[in-house]
Amino acid sequence: MRRMVTAALALLFVVGLLPALAPAPAAAQERVVKIAGTGAMSGVIRGFGVNSKAVFDMVVDEVNAAGGIKLADGTRAKIATTWLDERCNAEEGISVVRKLASEDWLVLIGPTCSNVAEPLFGILQRKVGDAGDSGLQFPIFTDTAIKPGLAKISEWAFRNVPHEPTMYTHLFKWLKEKHPDLKTVYGGVEKDFAHSNSNRGTMDAAAKAAGFEVMGWEEWLLADTEFSTQIGKMRRAKPDIVAISAHPFTTCGVLREMKRQGVKPKLMVGLTSTATLETMAGCGPEAEGLIIPSGFAPVTPEAKRVADIVAKKYKGNVDLHSAAVFENVLVLKRVIETSGVEAKPGTLQKDRQRVREGLAKVKEFDGLLGKVKRTEDRESVKPYVFAVAKNSDWAVLFDPR
Amino acid sequence: MTDLALDVVQQLLNGFLFGSSYALIGIGFTMIFGVMDKFNLAFGVTALAGAYTALLVLHLTQGPLALLFPVAVAAAGLVGLVVELVCFRWMPRDYPLAPLMATVGMLFFIDEVIVHGTHGRPMAFPAPMGEVMMDVGPWLLRGDLGFMFLVSLGVMGILWTLVYKTRLGLATRSVSQQPVAAQLCGISLVRVNAAVFVITGMIGGVAGVLIGSAVGALSPLLSLPLTVKGLVTAVLGGLGSIPGAIVGGLLLGIVEYEALYFFGIGYRDMVTYLLLFVFLVFRPGGLFGQTRH
Repeated sequence: MRRMVTAALALLFVVGLLPALAPAPAAAQERVVKIAGTGAMSGVIRGFGVNSKAVFDMVVDEVNAAGGIKLADGTRAKIATTWLDERCNAEEGISVVRKLASEDWLVLIGPTCSNVAEPLFGILQRKVGDAGDSGLQFPIFTDTAIKPGLAKISEWAFRNVPHEPTMYTHLFKWLKEKHPDLKTVYGGVEKDFAHSNSNRGTMDAAAKAAGFEVMGWEEWLLADTEFSTQIGKMRRAKPDIVAISAHPFTTCGVLREMKRQGVKPKLMVGLTSTATLETMAGCGPEAEGLIIPSGFAPVTPEAKRVADIVAKKYKGNVDLHSAAVFENVLVLKRVIETSGVEAKPGTLQKDRQRVREGLAKVKEFDGLLGKVKRTEDRESVKPYVFAVAKNSDWAVLFDPR
Repeated sequence: MTDLALDVVQQLLNGFLFGSSYALIGIGFTMIFGVMDKFNLAFGVTALAGAYTALLVLHLTQGPLALLFPVAVAAAGLVGLVVELVCFRWMPRDYPLAPLMATVGMLFFIDEVIVHGTHGRPMAFPAPMGEVMMDVGPWLLRGDLGFMFLVSLGVMGILWTLVYKTRLGLATRSVSQQPVAAQLCGISLVRVNAAVFVITGMIGGVAGVLIGSAVGALSPLLSLPLTVKGLVTAVLGGLGSIPGAIVGGLLLGIVEYEALYFFGIGYRDMVTYLLLFVFLVFRPGGLFGQTRH
């Protein structure tokens, strides 16, 4: 009997002690807002992911240093982050996002590549509230994947990327006004990459709409290294303008071959994604005069400040893609603060819906170059400039803002 | 002469000259296969690693462009030795697939090291031979590709001398034909294999610099196409045949350029691989190799 009483007392003591040993309740812990990022951190597109991550780290550090984000109950929460590699590969990107969605991440920024974004948006719930659709209910705010029209795939997908049809339509119209003597355009396209291939149609339509005659399009692949056949045809056509819808590696190869064969058009137009330091590092002298519409240039005090800090402290470059990360995080901060996000363990799915609804309500926000307008189909209309390659660097040729 | 005829000849010349880059890579594949009867799929990326190292040393030292060749040759030779150690010598001999898969792993490992070192960005590569264009009647010829063709012939000559006129060559041929008998005669299999990897690595270094300067840039994007084209070249020419690799490379270049001209980019690679199938079915030994039974 005595033994039983002792055992019972010991049990009571242990049970009584348990609450003291248990971790503190969640409410008493420091609350965090968990924002994930994904981009290409390996493979040949790695540079894009590295830049986006540098800007992501910079802006999150600034928000946290300024006190974090105000939650629905007035508590201030710091942003906790992770950044995962999608390798510019659709399967990898989908796997990364499924993992993040299964964990307690509130919202995602990314991905880098359009060929990842397109299938990725396809696994999200198409229409909000559709009980018959078991797609992921996870808000994604894309910074880089630029192929036009992707956000319409799902109501959970939002993008803040330049609208290329608008920019190229304006660019070719402007070129026609400035150079009425120029009549013909010959194009070249990197055919096996979603963005460059879709931009071919954009450039073609913009050139024709501006009154240019499009003489033809030459095609090559992302990994091609020799372009004499294609440039030989351009040489014979003698176009006034050469339009190149390709990424830096093949753009540089094409420009070198043009130089070799003495192809000297009066103007050259390039792909938005080529307005980066990669092009200057690869073929600055050959790219001299290349004109590209760009959603970023350090032409405002804030844009200069961000570009400087990212370059010096975070070892990255702010360009038309990575600049969007800065804007996206600040937009998310505003949305989280105004949409009643609680950031409690039991409110995750509700918080994700609040963020989605908040993002859908945003009609305009301050971007690094000025006001960014939002469209009904969850895309951005961003301010832009026409950049030109000059002395192995990018300069602003025309600022239509 | 009509435009079509002019273009067809221009494509022939372009393909012939650019094919010499395939020939240089094909030599590496074929030589290792000839001696060890095994594929080294990391050869293309070994060439690239040599060229990247040379570029790095050039940037660090601000030295003359002539520095590119010796540094690339030394670095690629060293990488070749590492590949031999890691992917062949240390692999279990009971699993014939192990070295093949190890070289695939090595290909992607070195590739990813380059990607991390450069953020995947293309790096401008200087052209030690300049960018001379020669007008030959109505046709244009690239001087650097012509130089590359001459180097391929030179490499073939050096290798022929090495294989048929030196003791190392004698040992290599012995190991290639009768490895057991060669060992019984006192030839060290390990040393011969290592020497072959170092020598082919050094050839890769030369190839890497020449291809880098012909392309005008280095990029990790180059490694896979170089591997595939080098392999196809070696098969077309006949595995184990050095002259075969040269002829195979030139043939591949010509077929690619004519296919591109006539059928466009979408069909260029289809025609190339169709040619590979035709060879494998009707002439599996390639142009200069022997059919194995």
